Amino acid sequence: MSQLLFLALFLVLFVMTEYRGHDQISVAVNSFFRSDPLVLAGYLLAAKSWSRLLLPAVVLVAATLLLGRFFCAWICPLGTLLDLLRIRKTAAAPPWLLSPNLKQWLLLTLLFASLFNLNLVGLLDPLAILLRGLTFLLYPLLGLAAREGWVELYGLIGEQRDSFAPLYGLLRDNLLPFRDAIYPLAFFSTFLLLGIFFLERLGTRTWCRCLCPLGTLLGWLGKVSLFRRLPVDVCGDCGRCRDLCPMRPEQGRLEAGECIVCMNCERDCRDRRVTFKLAAPLKGAGPLLPERRVFLGGMAAGLLLAVPARFRSPEMTATLLRPPGVRAEDEFLKKCVRCGECIKVCLKNALYPAAWQSGVEGFYTPCLIPRLGYCEYNCTLCGQVCPTGAIPRLPVEAKRREVIGKAVFDKNHCLPFAKRIDCIVCEEHCPIPDKAIRSREVTVVGSDGVERIVKEPHILDETCNGCGICENVCPLEGRAGVQVLAVINRTPLSEPVFGSEPADSGYAVK
Amino acid sequence: MAEGSDYPAITRRAISAVGGMKRFVKVGDVVVVKPNMGWDRPVELAANTHPLVVRAVVEECLAAGAKKVKVFDYTCNDARRCYANSGIERALKGIKRVECKQIEPERFKKVQLNGQFLKEWELYDEALAADVYINLPIAKHHGLSRLTLGLKNIMGIMGGNRGFMHRNLDTALADVNAHFKSHLTIIDATRILTAHGPQGGNPGDVRVLNTIIASTDIVAADAFATTLFGLKPGDIPVTVAAYKRGLGEMNLDRIKVVRV
Repeated sequence: MSQLLFLALFLVLFVMTEYRGHDQISVAVNSFFRSDPLVLAGYLLAAKSWSRLLLPAVVLVAATLLLGRFFCAWICPLGTLLDLLRIRKTAAAPPWLLSPNLKQWLLLTLLFASLFNLNLVGLLDPLAILLRGLTFLLYPLLGLAAREGWVELYGLIGEQRDSFAPLYGLLRDNLLPFRDAIYPLAFFSTFLLLGIFFLERLGTRTWCRCLCPLGTLLGWLGKVSLFRRLPVDVCGDCGRCRDLCPMRPEQGRLEAGECIVCMNCERDCRDRRVTFKLAAPLKGAGPLLPERRVFLGGMAAGLLLAVPARFRSPEMTATLLRPPGVRAEDEFLKKCVRCGECIKVCLKNALYPAAWQSGVEGFYTPCLIPRLGYCEYNCTLCGQVCPTGAIPRLPVEAKRREVIGKAVFDKNHCLPFAKRIDCIVCEEHCPIPDKAIRSREVTVVGSDGVERIVKEPHILDETCNGCGICENVCPLEGRAGVQVLAVINRTPLSEPVFGSEPADSGYAVK
Repeated sequence: MAEGSDYPAITRRAISAVGGMKRFVKVGDVVVVKPNMGWDRPVELAANTHPLVVRAVVEECLAAGAKKVKVFDYTCNDARRCYANSGIERALKGIKRVECKQIEPERFKKVQLNGQFLKEWELYDEALAADVYINLPIAKHHGLSRLTLGLKNIMGIMGGNRGFMHRNLDTALADVNAHFKSHLTIIDATRILTAHGPQGGNPGDVRVLNTIIASTDIVAADAFATTLFGLKPGDIPVTVAAYKRGLGEMNLDRIKVVRV
């Protein structure tokens, strides 16, 4: 019951993570990530600082210390999906997968890499895997199917379609994505998610038992919990628990830290022998920390991963733009969960998951591609849904002044320079009150040899915030005549001064 | 032309000065009212038509017996934000027989314009199918065309790569307006944007003029509105191109201005 409730909550919050006519999003699916101890661990180790946003995760850590690894059986939406799908076991798991050391090793590698400034926990976080699968493939697919159907209907019945408009309007306003976007890494994201479902064929909850880094972390915390199953061992005369338990106790006992407190064994025990009670931690329940060999191995692997993964191609980083408010690349990479929420919420579909633009380190981090979508001047949604504040939550006045990059003209391509004809669509769209793109009339000789007056645009660096609308609306095909380039110094623009007179009268009509 | 600070009232006065809405709208007509709501800017920044003016025009259409009044614009910023923050969607909410829907791209239809610059272009089917088309721009500065008024507001029913038109904007706009006529042009000059248009953003660029201009002649409406900026109709190449094409009168001494 609780499982279904949380799955429904996850999906509802997912759909709510969208602009639905209000500048503020009150609750979003980021609540799940803010409660995620793995996200918390990665953040603390990598950023080596604290964020108030992650307080719910601390609560969950405390609850796990007390009650055990209940998250996996009561809350985790991915776990619920695995339970709902009930994929039948068709093959035996290979022994290496079942090794209790594998997941420890995996988690330790992630945590040590974080400590060495490479925070990749989000790549294997189950909530993030689920969200990315939904955001990058399944949800756009739903939107596309609905929209295509609606367009087809217009082709079939034309204006008469209007009689169905209220129904479609209801769907569009409350459920569907506003805009169709095709995302890079869509297949990979879905592949990861489906891979986890596929693992069920090797036995129930194979992902949770053998791989999940969040589950493993909760397992460590849950080892000392005071709430446990009694009797500790499976009774010799019955042993049905062994089949009831989704975590598949191979020996006669489920190790501490493996029990996910689903309580199936208590509910279905014929003789009512099994109970869950508060009890003192077991003596001899195994060491709290993993074996030294695994510990050191994880540390070495984390270090080995952390250094080479930092390679970034300068050519790619030159056009690598981050969401508004992100001032420093390294700081951002340490805090970003790679959950994809900002990408989902982005009003103009300006944000896309990076594939290789920022190296392995930046896999799945959001980057802005102006040619596909620009940063809407008055919108602050990405900062509102970011679970860790990697994209800071800013009031709209401050966000407008945050520098994403700076636009530059390509004079070989931009029409007034290259073809000597009028254009300046970029200036028209520039949202900066006093215009960061301005134009001046110059007399030129056209390619036909005739002298004429053309408006040539130029950029005022001190007022350009790099929102990218100029590059977005440039009417040239393919590559735009104006392009936003990344800059290292992203000091916000100074506050606009609004006088009662137009700022420079030469520019005004009068 | 009407002046006053009660915007719905001056809108109604201006409409009655050109013969009243019944002259244009017959009982059972489908009317399209095309304001400018292309930008995510609040009312006071004068980037979009004033919502009270839009509502007054819509109410006049309904009073004249319109079966349905459709209000839309092909926005430059995010459509949801423009519809919401221009205040127009809210101003029309709950009025029966009024539709304020966002543009659906599949509804643009290729139309043969056979113009001098544009041979064909995509126009919005709801505008093409309407019995009456009312052009309802706000008077604003524009970087390329100096001013954007009635003739340029027609771009809101155009699809495709609209930026392409900037290469020869004056001729392109004459082409479209020659093919697609506005039955009535009402220019909202309650506030005008004098610089950094068409989007604005600086309150210092806004002048409050409390003025509404209505005319059946789109060129005359534009020509007269130009004077509000201290310019002459001949300063605006778009107006000149339309005049030369025979779309209307731009000589102020031949335009009869009725002040009500």
